[in-house]
Amino acid sequence: MSLVAYAPDDLTVSVTADTTLAELQQHLARHGQWLPVDPPHPDRLTIGAIIDGNLSGPRRYGYGTVREHVLSLRAELADGRRIKTGADVVKNAAGYDLCRLFTGARGELAIVREVCFKVQPLPEVEQFVEARFPAVEEACAFVEKVDTSELTPVVLDLHHPGGAGLWTVVVGFAGMREEVAWQRQEAERHGALTDSSLDHDRRFWAAAHAGPVRKRAVLPSALAAAIQPLRAAAVSLVARAGNGILYYHGGPEPPAPELPVKLLQRLKHEFDPTNKFPAGTS
Amino acid sequence: MTALAPSLVRELRAICGDDGVIATPERLLVYECDAYTMEKHLPDAVVLPRTTEEVVRVVKTCAAHQVPIIPRGTGTSLSGAVLAVDGGVIIGTTQLNRILRLDFRNRRALVEAGVPNLSITNAVKHRGLMFAPDPSSQPSSTIAGNIAFNAGGPHTLKHGATTNHVLGFDLVLASGDRVWLGAEPDGGDDVEGYDLRGVVIGAEGMFGVITQVLVRLMKTARAYRTLLAVFADPDDASQTVSDIIASGIIPVALEMMDQPITRAIEEAYHFGLPVDAGAVLIIELEGHEVGLDRQLHRVLELCRKHRARDLKPARTDEERAALWKCRKGAFGAIGRISPCFVTQDGVVPRTRLPEIMRFIYDSAKQHGLGVANVCHAGDGNIHPILFYDERIPGHVEQAYACSTEIVRRCVELGGSCTGEHGIGVEKVDLMSVQYSADDLAAMKRVRHAFDPEGRCNPHKMFPGGKRCLNFNPARQVAV
Repeated sequence: MSLVAYAPDDLTVSVTADTTLAELQQHLARHGQWLPVDPPHPDRLTIGAIIDGNLSGPRRYGYGTVREHVLSLRAELADGRRIKTGADVVKNAAGYDLCRLFTGARGELAIVREVCFKVQPLPEVEQFVEARFPAVEEACAFVEKVDTSELTPVVLDLHHPGGAGLWTVVVGFAGMREEVAWQRQEAERHGALTDSSLDHDRRFWAAAHAGPVRKRAVLPSALAAAIQPLRAAAVSLVARAGNGILYYHGGPEPPAPELPVKLLQRLKHEFDPTNKFPAGTS
Repeated sequence: MTALAPSLVRELRAICGDDGVIATPERLLVYECDAYTMEKHLPDAVVLPRTTEEVVRVVKTCAAHQVPIIPRGTGTSLSGAVLAVDGGVIIGTTQLNRILRLDFRNRRALVEAGVPNLSITNAVKHRGLMFAPDPSSQPSSTIAGNIAFNAGGPHTLKHGATTNHVLGFDLVLASGDRVWLGAEPDGGDDVEGYDLRGVVIGAEGMFGVITQVLVRLMKTARAYRTLLAVFADPDDASQTVSDIIASGIIPVALEMMDQPITRAIEEAYHFGLPVDAGAVLIIELEGHEVGLDRQLHRVLELCRKHRARDLKPARTDEERAALWKCRKGAFGAIGRISPCFVTQDGVVPRTRLPEIMRFIYDSAKQHGLGVANVCHAGDGNIHPILFYDERIPGHVEQAYACSTEIVRRCVELGGSCTGEHGIGVEKVDLMSVQYSADDLAAMKRVRHAFDPEGRCNPHKMFPGGKRCLNFNPARQVAV
């Protein structure tokens, strides 16, 4: 792993793709900064893997996926050429945005070697609270209340352990001491809250025995309806409820999306005509 | 101009009607350039389709005739990206101007390509929502135009640019094939496959014609603190900007204006800005009411540390609105200084702001030019405005040379030759300063996938395109 360049006063950092997220966060924390993405397994997850999968975690509601934080990439193409795309500054309108194209491309277009991120000051305080409900509809109604209120949480998750357990909504606030305290107080008006954490997310991703993780993306307003067919299978699930992103173990396959297949194939062919980076290997 | 087959104009009229096709030289003049006026080309025809279906038919007709197509909004772009360099048909989106669907629950809006940026916010603000990107051109620039340049604005500092707020769109490729890229109006935020949406945003209209756009709406902040900080020395102002960012405070906007521009604004708007200050900063914090004063206090301390002469927080919403009106009207006031000017756009790492500002003043002086600066300082995004007199022989060339020198310096300092105005025809030669031949070749592969014939908005972005600098500009207005 290597930290290629870190300019704390510019809030930018460049690292090699084999750096783990935890290593990067340790460096940044020394200067009171962080990369606000929190996918599971930060100790073994590399920056390269995070870019390939455009990963994120519960804090996605507040900070987006990793794609929103990439300023430039150095990558190796299928023909061996090394390129740089983007610029190591927070704004750049020169050239096509290949950073976005390569982020989330699962390594099928190029191998990402180095990434420059825009980083942020660590929030003064983070606080998590939860509310529990017997029915998914009630839980989703609570999510809607929070989502459409004047509150600005950074986490708005819904989770269920599978079987007959309760539906739990986890809300996270971050920022200055006063505003976090005020937001928590305001949130109490929408339902009784108790202290919580992001342990539910760690538990979900640690449960490898529960079958493959499947993912569905729906409108936040359609989340309860999307969960309905999973209830018969009694699967465990976690949802980024504010984003309409649903992860579940086992259970029915999500419906196949309609994609602009011809265009995707042409792009793949332009970058990797001999299929040196086949799909599904990253 | 290419010699258009008369049958093509007839076919276009059959699709868009007589009033939807412009083909007479006098009326085409409006479309000979955008707000970058150093270079001009007349298109062969302009069509103004009213529906996506009409766009598809126009594009297919142009494909059959092998004619270039150039998508265009309201022409507020600043780099000549909508010039019909080889003639061809400009496809104007101004008649595609309907707001199709507002979804307050999911904070989304589906609009047609030609809807002006500000119209979106105006349609949703009664629900405490907004479309965040706020270029100075926002009353007139279209959403599809914002996509073409990944438009930003003063509030980009915290909220991000267009790419962070556009979820998906309908794109008509140069072949006439229609694809929806990104999130669908009824679909979730994440889509499988490569981020085609992301690579089209900022591609300056070279990948096809956008007809409909799905945008994300943001909650409007409930509380603001907006501060005018006055400095005797511009160097102190830029050092303050650098220190605020380094301190861990991210204002929602952090703008700098130097004395010449402040003076011009004051003469135009009579806001009460100090005309003798070296530079002023507009600093805006937003969020929840609680906690904002503590942040403001820290900002005030940093301003004082750098010898701010005067610190004026806006006391009312009206005062805040007036301050932003001044900032966004800055370019309208420039005509008071000089009839001829060129606005530049470049980015440096934020800690290099004091250095690039000094470089700008020195460079303008060496070239015998006047200069005023208004910039998105918090982003390190500079916009020096160079004044010249086209009646003085060689002065235009001096302005061009000084412009280029400043932007090259931005790249040398580790930045970019453009932060938001784009490459267009203006900066094609600077692309090879910022990128290697292999970097540019990789970009061309994407272009080839979307438009194998290179017929959509040709001669833009890449070095080696046709140029025809006439060195006879009248004036430029800018973001």
